[in-house]
Amino acid sequence: MSLFARFLKLAQKHSALPMIMIPVVLVGIGVNMFGSSLLLNVYTYFCVSLIMVLGLQMFMGNSGILNWVHIGFVGVGAYASGILSTAPLVKSMGVPNMFPALVELNMPVIPAIMVGGLVAALLAAIIGYPLMRLSDFVGVITLFATLIVFHVIMTQWDNVTNGPRTFFGVPEFTTLTVALIGALIALAVAYWFRESGLGLRLRASRDDRYAAMSIGIDVVRVRYYGFITSALVAGLAGGVWAHFITSFSPKAFYISEMFILLSMVVIGGSGSISGAFMGTVFVTVGRELLRQVEGTINNAHLLSFEVYGLTEAVMAIFMIVILIWRPGGVVGGQELRWPLFKRNKPIVTKEVEDGV
Amino acid sequence: MTMPMLTVENLMASYGVVRALHGVSLEVNEGELVALLGVNGAGKSTTLKSITGILRPVKGSITFLGTEITNRKPEWIVKQGLSLVPEGREIFGSLTVEENLRLGAFVSYQRDRYKADLKEIFELFPILEERFSQPGGLLSGGEQQMLAIARAMMAHPKLLMLDEPSLGLSPAMTDSIFVLIKRLREMGSTILLVEQNAERALEIVDRAYLLANGEVDFAGSAEDLKRKVDIASVYFGGDDAAPCEVPL
Repeated sequence: MSLFARFLKLAQKHSALPMIMIPVVLVGIGVNMFGSSLLLNVYTYFCVSLIMVLGLQMFMGNSGILNWVHIGFVGVGAYASGILSTAPLVKSMGVPNMFPALVELNMPVIPAIMVGGLVAALLAAIIGYPLMRLSDFVGVITLFATLIVFHVIMTQWDNVTNGPRTFFGVPEFTTLTVALIGALIALAVAYWFRESGLGLRLRASRDDRYAAMSIGIDVVRVRYYGFITSALVAGLAGGVWAHFITSFSPKAFYISEMFILLSMVVIGGSGSISGAFMGTVFVTVGRELLRQVEGTINNAHLLSFEVYGLTEAVMAIFMIVILIWRPGGVVGGQELRWPLFKRNKPIVTKEVEDGV
Repeated sequence: MTMPMLTVENLMASYGVVRALHGVSLEVNEGELVALLGVNGAGKSTTLKSITGILRPVKGSITFLGTEITNRKPEWIVKQGLSLVPEGREIFGSLTVEENLRLGAFVSYQRDRYKADLKEIFELFPILEERFSQPGGLLSGGEQQMLAIARAMMAHPKLLMLDEPSLGLSPAMTDSIFVLIKRLREMGSTILLVEQNAERALEIVDRAYLLANGEVDFAGSAEDLKRKVDIASVYFGGDDAAPCEVPL
């Protein structure tokens, strides 16, 4: 095989990444130049969601464990980054009960986001140690219980999070460009993670836990490392999100938001980066369209009552239909690949064509 | 005589309250091809699971190359050079053939050796080269079995354990699997083979153990077993069938 042919083969094998990245960048440039402020917001939000979804895919997609607590790590990253970067004066007004030591903290946004990611990863290292031993529905329900614990702490610990009230005044930092760069990095990292030795071991343990053990894979350990890496990305995404939205409350890190992230991963196909990406596209577009429809119906007073929750209901039904139709998601477990054009045509005999 | 490679002494194992093994003892010497025979539920797979550490034995000891491996983690045991090809072709269906093989090599991964190993594997299993970038789940049953064996070979095991490699395969595919096992043995591998297909297994093995109800019923060379034990009666005769027609 010539060097060029070998390069082509390698490029084709990894063609999923440029096939996703190039459109993301092109659309981003287009939106930045010509888009309305609404479109700009939607696309920025899409890029931030993509970081969260890819973080979720890294653990859930590769290990097969439904990770409910993911949005909790997003919240930890958002609060950590918000507390670290918000001006002391704003914090002392906005969060009256905050620990004095926390009020005085003040650092630039980028290091704050980084620390937020590390705090989430550290937390994952502590809670993942016992939890990663559990599999199947036991694993899912314990992660779900952990999300409830996260939520209770966020709503009750008013010395840190301002309790159920809104935490506001977080400096704005995340523009479309920042979110886009973040999304590109997340795409590369998630793709690399999936192909890496750790990702491969995780995927093997998802396919067959006992076979994985029998060829020398420490299933608990690879899950543990995957969980921490995923939480790191979640925490970073939370920081990026916090500096986009600038004010938030614990509600943003609970079941309904987690359901949106899950539907993004599941509709597209949790087994691949391409799937996570396509799911994020479908859900974001669908959500915005439904929101417009809902708004139009309500504004035009077409019905005698106001329509609420159409978005959530339709998204949930959409998810059910997709999963019946394609249980592996729209894309499935394999990455997208640039089609090869030299593909041999299958030999079809006359009889088969005639249906004999 | 040199020390056996694998020694299992008085192994007892149970699934919850159900005792599956009542003191199994066996030995495998270096370079040997040894079979573990018996009907369904005799305890063959349980013995292998206990050896590889997937199942914790209740009692007994397992020694491999002079090291006690009882109650060790499966991952650790594999690193000692003991590989199991599990029953029912447990390959990773959503991973490609290439990824399956790479996983097998992770135990002792060296980039230059990996390339050479792949070449060797492709000589033994040409079909895997054709299917290299396809998901393992799309392979036929026999191809999956070959992939499972190849994956275990990638780890360069000192002892290879095969759990019912012919299960559910067509007669032709069974033939080629047995030819392959024989060839592996000729290449110097030490193999512990678990089989229900006793007559086929006895054609290629050096020694065999016959398990019944969680105990070793008979142990000896393949010829002895063929001569002294009426295999058909063991499989079809039910409980009261004497395992030995001729007094031992």
